[in-house]
Amino acid sequence: MPEIRVTPLGAGQDVGRSCILVSIGGKNVMLDCGMHMGFNDDRRFPDFSYITRNGRLTDFLDCVIISHFHLDHCGALPYFSEMVGYDGPIYMTHPTQAICPILLEDYRKIAVDKKGEANFFTSQMIKDCMKKVVAVHLHQTVQVDDELEIKAYYAGHVLGAAMFQIKVGSESVVYTGDYNMTPDRHLGAAWIDKCRPNLLITESTYATTIRDSKRCRERDFLKKVHEAVERGGKVLIPVFALGRAQELCILLETFWERMNLKAPIYFSTGLTEKANHYYKLFITWTNQKIRKTFVQRNMFEFKHIKAFDRAFADNPGPMVVFATPGMLHAGQSLQIFRKWAGNEKNMVIMPGYCVQGTVGHKILSGQRKLEMEGRQVLEVKMQVEYMSFSAHADAKGIMQLVGQAEPENVLLVHGEAKKMEFLKQKIEQEFRVSCYMPANGETVTLPTSPSIPVGISLGLLKREMAQGLLPDAKKPRLLHGTLIMKDSNFRLVSSEQALKELGLAEHQLRFTCRVHLHDPRKEQETAMRVYSHLKSVLKEHCVQHLPDGSVTVESILIQAAAHSEDPGTKVLLVSWTYQDEELGSHLTSLLKKGLPQAAS
Amino acid sequence: MDPECSQLLPALCSVLADPRQPVTDDTCLEKLLDWFKTITEAGSSLLLLQENPCLLGLLCHVLKPQDLSPRVLAFSLRLAGMLAAQEDCFQYLQQGELLPRLFGEAGPLGGAAWTAPSVRSGWIQGLRSLAHHPSALCFLADCGAVDTIFSLQGDSSLFVASAAGQLLVHVLGLSLQGPAEGHPGLQTGDWPVCAQKIVSHIEESLRSAATPQITQALNVLTTTFGHCHNPWTQVLWVRLSPLVARLLEKDPVPAAHSLVDLLLSVARSPVLSSSSCGLWETLAQTLSHLSPTQAGPLALGILKLQECPQALRAQAFAVLLQPLTCVLEATAQAPGLLDSWDGTGGASVTVDTLLASKAACVGLLCRTLAHLELLQPLPQRPSPWPQAPLLGATVTILRLCSGSATPTSDAGGHLCAFLVGCVRVQRAALDFLGMLSRGTGPRELVTQVFAVLLEYLTSPDSSPTVLKKAFQATLRWLQSSPETPGCSDLDPHAQLFLRELLPVLPKRLCSPCWEVRDSGLEFLTQMIGRWGGQAGFRRALLASEVPELTEQLLRDPESYVRASAVAAMGQLSSQGLRVTPASPEHPGGQQKSLLAELLHILSTDSEGFPRRAVMHVFTQWLRDGHADVAADTERFVARVLQVASQDLDWEVRAQGLELALVFLEQTLGRPSSHCPYAVTPPVAAPPGPLAQALRPLCRVQLFEFAFRALFDCDRPVAQKSCDLLLFLRAQTASYSGPQGSGSVPEVASVEAALQRWQAGDQGQPLGYLEPEVVVAVLRSMDLEGLRGALAESSDRVEKSPQSLLQDMLATVGALGEDEADCY
Repeated sequence: MPEIRVTPLGAGQDVGRSCILVSIGGKNVMLDCGMHMGFNDDRRFPDFSYITRNGRLTDFLDCVIISHFHLDHCGALPYFSEMVGYDGPIYMTHPTQAICPILLEDYRKIAVDKKGEANFFTSQMIKDCMKKVVAVHLHQTVQVDDELEIKAYYAGHVLGAAMFQIKVGSESVVYTGDYNMTPDRHLGAAWIDKCRPNLLITESTYATTIRDSKRCRERDFLKKVHEAVERGGKVLIPVFALGRAQELCILLETFWERMNLKAPIYFSTGLTEKANHYYKLFITWTNQKIRKTFVQRNMFEFKHIKAFDRAFADNPGPMVVFATPGMLHAGQSLQIFRKWAGNEKNMVIMPGYCVQGTVGHKILSGQRKLEMEGRQVLEVKMQVEYMSFSAHADAKGIMQLVGQAEPENVLLVHGEAKKMEFLKQKIEQEFRVSCYMPANGETVTLPTSPSIPVGISLGLLKREMAQGLLPDAKKPRLLHGTLIMKDSNFRLVSSEQALKELGLAEHQLRFTCRVHLHDPRKEQETAMRVYSHLKSVLKEHCVQHLPDGSVTVESILIQAAAHSEDPGTKVLLVSWTYQDEELGSHLTSLLKKGLPQAAS
Repeated sequence: MDPECSQLLPALCSVLADPRQPVTDDTCLEKLLDWFKTITEAGSSLLLLQENPCLLGLLCHVLKPQDLSPRVLAFSLRLAGMLAAQEDCFQYLQQGELLPRLFGEAGPLGGAAWTAPSVRSGWIQGLRSLAHHPSALCFLADCGAVDTIFSLQGDSSLFVASAAGQLLVHVLGLSLQGPAEGHPGLQTGDWPVCAQKIVSHIEESLRSAATPQITQALNVLTTTFGHCHNPWTQVLWVRLSPLVARLLEKDPVPAAHSLVDLLLSVARSPVLSSSSCGLWETLAQTLSHLSPTQAGPLALGILKLQECPQALRAQAFAVLLQPLTCVLEATAQAPGLLDSWDGTGGASVTVDTLLASKAACVGLLCRTLAHLELLQPLPQRPSPWPQAPLLGATVTILRLCSGSATPTSDAGGHLCAFLVGCVRVQRAALDFLGMLSRGTGPRELVTQVFAVLLEYLTSPDSSPTVLKKAFQATLRWLQSSPETPGCSDLDPHAQLFLRELLPVLPKRLCSPCWEVRDSGLEFLTQMIGRWGGQAGFRRALLASEVPELTEQLLRDPESYVRASAVAAMGQLSSQGLRVTPASPEHPGGQQKSLLAELLHILSTDSEGFPRRAVMHVFTQWLRDGHADVAADTERFVARVLQVASQDLDWEVRAQGLELALVFLEQTLGRPSSHCPYAVTPPVAAPPGPLAQALRPLCRVQLFEFAFRALFDCDRPVAQKSCDLLLFLRAQTASYSGPQGSGSVPEVASVEAALQRWQAGDQGQPLGYLEPEVVVAVLRSMDLEGLRGALAESSDRVEKSPQSLLQDMLATVGALGEDEADCY
């Protein structure tokens, strides 16, 4: 029985390192290859030993697909391809391929050099890994091999994020990665056609949340920044280089323009240029508004946002600074934070998630006295705000996507077990489909009934067409033919052609029936009476009386014989081929009614 | 445990025990266990429990019927196991009957929580930690744990099932530690009950008709024989080998992959391979029973063995060679030496596999090529190694893939149809071809190798990944070409190839794919590094467009390519191969110098890779005494340091310090030992007073850069600077003349600036420093202390257990609606 098997190695009932193995139509695909930022040892990567035990990775896996550039979806990729030894193709969109190495490089620098970690991938490994990538366009069907094909759909979330359809024959799986069903200031909403996959694997980060209006959140954010700047404070916004940072930049730029504010806004470490470059390059991936206005004005060429220099942090007066990294665990953002933390006029706004151990996590959980290096204690007097701008579909959005794709089954990943449980019930109730939520390491197996393609001979088709009925995809029609299975191919041909091709002789199958008639006359006379009766009743058919005394109606043969025990009864032997089944049955029932009385 | 943590622990335990306080971040629990592991490994667990009664309280509390998170339950099981690993602590926990309540029928095992894989996993991991002493064995037997482990081997979670198998191996080993170790002659019938039970279970599984059960049993045995080489393993193998051999009678052979792993594990075991229980016969039998695809890994494993009968090696090698023999035969070529290896039949099965379908054909060929690639460099590879036929077969496969081979038979036609354009096989074949360069081959075959490589490098159909491998294979073959005696130049054969190759390279450097441009440049850089000094190569290169195109790629839109172009240009320039075109657009004299061009990249490129590549080239140039550098070394160093010190990428700043160190060594003398920072006198200190020696360093403002870097927010920069200054201080000690006699106000002003920098202020530049001031400042600084502080990772504080406990406590109730937030 063919089946689809799904095993999450990561993202099964958790929000960590996404890595999902899918086996479909005999092909093995890895969906995402993420890293868990919360660990500093091998546990940050999915446990690939569960794949390597199946033999060589490159032989076992047909391809790896990366949904977007966030590290929890692609962070383990160089490790997997350059250190564990996967040498096969890796698919992702063009923007993801361009941006991925920047984030991987940033992470590498922190992990290897700052923390002195060994056994980590190098810069060269990141490059070599990216060289194995096959970049895909949206809605382009890419043939991985003769049987396996993939297709990318727009997912919103971040620049270049995509959902992927994986198809082998008539079986298909859709993997959403992270997606957003509502457009934002620089990206559009996720969209997929009614592809009716056997299985939809969807993220479920906000499985139980109906997120408040984005406008409210934006207003709140602007209000807080504005207030801090008005009172002469400095605002630090720790961000990751690309992604939500650009959304917030557009937001502030527009606000500064409208309110005619003068306080400087800076973006750290030369990333404005880089981000600008990528957004220009991949303008087709942004939302309609940005694309439309691009000719007059590039939204990413900010008037108010300037490149940051380390010396600016000591400048007097208010300012807003976007600095990396986003969790305040190293580099420039941490350095600025340490400078500004002691002043209650200042503010830090954390626009995203922080893992345990980072300064970001500590201040978000309310800690105000932080032990820094060298036993120094940093007192945090500045205002600390948390405003999530991560762009995931909420419960409503997830339901909307399920409705759009019309899958036969749904599987939830990238979420918390309790929340998934709630959404699972909702999906099962509303869409009447099975919904699964495997934990990491658990396998979900879905039996499928594949449709097998059958070639039809031209002769047979022409014969059908000759009957005057034009083919109509919506109206199935009965067609008689012979199915030939040869060389793993299926073909439907006419019976004659089948006999010819296979070198077989035709056999005829005849049905025979006995009808008892009360008639004391001789057999020849009875036969004559049968002939006369049928001749008069079946005017449209060819009825013949043969010299040997038997009667034929088309291919049907009738012979009269004496009854062995009752001389007053004659036995009519009626015999017909299966092609004349209808006429044969009719004739038999006619004769069973008896013959008309002979005219005296 | 330090007092701060001891104080925090009770609060944390009560949070964990409270089902209303969800623990959102499971990494915290993992890290907490890591910490407990460190504590229990270093000291007494009993003491830990006695000093922190809250831990016992937590373990008791989780047993109460309540809606506790599976994560906390799993955590508690693991913690209990960890504590009970020490026998006295085990006894202590047993007194309260805590362990049976946690791990026995009455515990989570029988409850609703058991449905969570994390709880089942915690249960196994707990027992795995616990099972370290004889009392633990009795406990396992009493609470019926072994039966549960048996059933968990078939768990729906891969992680749980795998851990259950490993636990079983561990328990078997533990139960046999005492009795069977001392008496190797002891038969399984005399083994402890627990061990007998496990062995019976394995036997039952091996007799089963269900493949998953057979797989489980085989995996347990593989791990056992792989990890344990005690004499009892021999007794076990003697008892079980007939059952294993019986698996070969089934068609198809069940769990073939696991069977191969087991047999290889047995063959590698020093205890088992020397025994005479028909291992080699079983291996031979298995080789002939398995399909060619399944037999490949076994054959490779056999050939890797140090000790193995020759006949079996021959059979194994034949299995590996069969697919290539088929390829040669299908293309009407004499398999040559492969014939002599291929005498054991099975060829028809291989042909059937190769011709069955495209997927089977591609799969078998890729595996075979990969296996042979692994085998080639091994000292124990079969001898004679059929280098020539293997070369022939690989070239043929590559030709079938490119469509340039003409099939002469039906089988060849089929192969051609399957392989044409197949990237997977192309990659595998090119990898193997590259590996084959380690051996020699007949002249005509080597000609064919170069021809097929050229075909791939030229073909517009070659994919970027295939091209990269073709470049790598080409480089390896060129490197292996014999050099002309006496003139260290490439042999005429390779020279001829180069002449044909160099016109191809420009096309690749102009490819629309950055991957191809980059691979082309990497190839070029390695070529120049190897043959840049050879006349034939120089002539061919200069006659081509390659140098000019490389220079153009310095402005490539892709940063990786720009970085590779920088490296290639650095090499070209070092070897005097940079051309000055005399075209009207580029009048010779006005061409921008490469040094200026690279400096421009260093100061303006928005990406780190090209800037880092520039620093690498500059450091190399300084080391090698490149003409452009030697013309005015001080000016060069001053300019580079000035730009590098401002760089936002700390790796560029660190490389700036590397360059500074090279300059310093050249000015003051090289260190004598491998460690550049060792406090030893220089080998050849230049004569003259110290001030004079330091003056060039002061002029290039090396100290301003180094002092600032000392307080860089990026630790490696600070570390490097610290090492550099320590080295300098050691060097200055050996100089004559007045030392450290700088005027007091000047020294004080520098020290004040250093303090400001340490506090995070940027401040004004120091300007020119007199050598005497530098020496005085160096002497007054606690560089050793700073180095010690920098040696600890920058997130040392964040990673500390105290920080973990504080974070976990602070998180309680602090998170709002989107606690599962991510990016």
